[in-house]
Amino acid sequence: MRVFAVALDLLREARSRKWTLALVGATSLVLVLVAFGLELDVVDGALAATRFFGGSGSGEIRPVEVALRPLFEAVASTIFGAGLVFGVLACADFAPALLAPGRIEQLLSLPLRRWELLVGTYLGVLALVLAGALYGGAGLSLIIMAKSGVFGWAPLLAALLSAAAFSAVYAVMVLSAVAVRSAALSGAAGGAALLLFTVAGSRSDLAPLFSAGPGRTLFLALTSPLPRLTGLGQHAFRLAAGRGTDLTLLLAQLGGTFLFAAAVLAAAVALFERKDY
Amino acid sequence: MPRRRLWLAAVVLLLLAAGLLSLVEASSEPPRRPVSFPTHMREAEWKRHEARQTLPPPLAVTPRPGRPAIEPAPKRDPFVLALPVRPDEPVMVFEANALRHSRLGELFISCALAENPRTFSDFQKETGVDPLKDIDRVGFVGRAMVVSGYFDRARWERLVEEGRATVEAYGEAGRLYRQLDGSEVVGVWKNQLLVLGPDDAAARQAMDQLEGRSAPPESAVPEDLAYGEVYGVIPGATVQRLFSAQDQALGAKLAAAASRVELHVDAMQDVAAVVRVDGKDDQALGDLARTLGGALAAGRLSAKAGGDQPLTELLDAARVVNEQGRFSLELALPAATLERWFEDCAGRKEAGQRAGAPAPRPERAP
Repeated sequence: MRVFAVALDLLREARSRKWTLALVGATSLVLVLVAFGLELDVVDGALAATRFFGGSGSGEIRPVEVALRPLFEAVASTIFGAGLVFGVLACADFAPALLAPGRIEQLLSLPLRRWELLVGTYLGVLALVLAGALYGGAGLSLIIMAKSGVFGWAPLLAALLSAAAFSAVYAVMVLSAVAVRSAALSGAAGGAALLLFTVAGSRSDLAPLFSAGPGRTLFLALTSPLPRLTGLGQHAFRLAAGRGTDLTLLLAQLGGTFLFAAAVLAAAVALFERKDY
Repeated sequence: MPRRRLWLAAVVLLLLAAGLLSLVEASSEPPRRPVSFPTHMREAEWKRHEARQTLPPPLAVTPRPGRPAIEPAPKRDPFVLALPVRPDEPVMVFEANALRHSRLGELFISCALAENPRTFSDFQKETGVDPLKDIDRVGFVGRAMVVSGYFDRARWERLVEEGRATVEAYGEAGRLYRQLDGSEVVGVWKNQLLVLGPDDAAARQAMDQLEGRSAPPESAVPEDLAYGEVYGVIPGATVQRLFSAQDQALGAKLAAAASRVELHVDAMQDVAAVVRVDGKDDQALGDLARTLGGALAAGRLSAKAGGDQPLTELLDAARVVNEQGRFSLELALPAATLERWFEDCAGRKEAGQRAGAPAPRPERAP
């Protein structure tokens, strides 16, 4: 329970931060722009034309759900990628602020275990990112539904997958913050994690670039526990394209992501336990 | 054990578990190619068309001495020339040999063979014609059917010897086989073309056109429309006949707006069909296009709601394309979907093999 109390405290703090409010404002602005810029002409259940920001439409008539797939694919890809970058930028400062001199001493004097403090902060940030993802994803789904009458789950699913992928990225950022109290370094660690996880997602394509032998084996061994960022992104894209997805693979990749996040968080707790403030 | 070591042990265990989960890899599904619709004659089809111009004009014109040479008439495609076209009759041509080598054809043949391995060999034994090799094209004109191919080994004489048909020579290179029960007449021309019909009118018309005794009618399938593995033209007046009793309203609307309906199907990899509707009344055509678009959307929703996956996949790639003075309805079945539809055949084949395999002998007591 004390873990959740820490998480709630972090959310309260986030609400008062100008930086968080600015990011929420920017997301709202994008939603408003899309709401006014997107024009869909739906005729008798079929889509006669699609125009986006004044672009010309085609003379095709096809089921509206099918015609909107490219739009949902684009939205899902953008939300997945932008959600991760948004998370790294918005949350780089939370863990270093928690560990800032003056504050950490006060927190450690409270009847809290160290791991509760760290895990609570981690969960609070994840809740914040999840709320942002749901706001952006559901907002886009609702705007498209208002314009076309079709509710697509794609933006919402992409947002949820993005939040799930971010759980591993943020664990790396927390570890970095525990090691060195720097928001810049925490952000850089998040960026590096994004890059590394993208590489891990394409490991089967990249492995043949290494000559067969110890080099390739080492590459495969090192990348095996890392989350498959591109894999999760592809699930979002495939679901948006109406192509269905391999549920076993999706669950395995989500499970792998959460296990990796838990491992890195455990490493951060182990380091935090040893630190003398 | 100090608490810190417990955390480090958890790190190792969790990383190992994450590594184990990574063993679940994505299956190497090939990227989905966009479906290519047969909207015009392609280079290979032009070459195929040129290679089929083999029939010389019926009369050789020799110029008189002192007169300029007369340009000889170009060679013609005997199959197209033979089509016994009549006004307001639909014409449909199946490129049987190309279809046989298409993805759809391969799947269909392997499925037919899985059900009965002697499907085609029995037919060959009976008629002398190998349906997988000897048939090139099959055309349907009204109630007549024209087949081109290689029929040198066909057992026509058997029909006569067994008293099932009479034979009559017709023209320079034709024969007419009349079944004694009066059910069908088969015209054979140079063992290259067969004309089948309920009476001999179509066969006579075809052979007269081939040998120059009557002027060939204006082709129902112009040369530049002979593309795809299935193609044809349906005159507007006969369109309504193609619709079932339930869909007569749509059929009547189509017949009223359309002066001609063209069909082209490409089946080499994906099955992609283009139905092009021409008409004189732009307003009526526009209304019809919107009606069809709406029907597609409604059909797809209904198929999806009813869990009809094959129909949903078919309608997924369906669209109506509006052009000036006409519109095209495009339908497609990706090759991957086709393969899924025929997957059961492999199961039936294995089951058939198991059923056909000799039963294991009971072990003898020592």
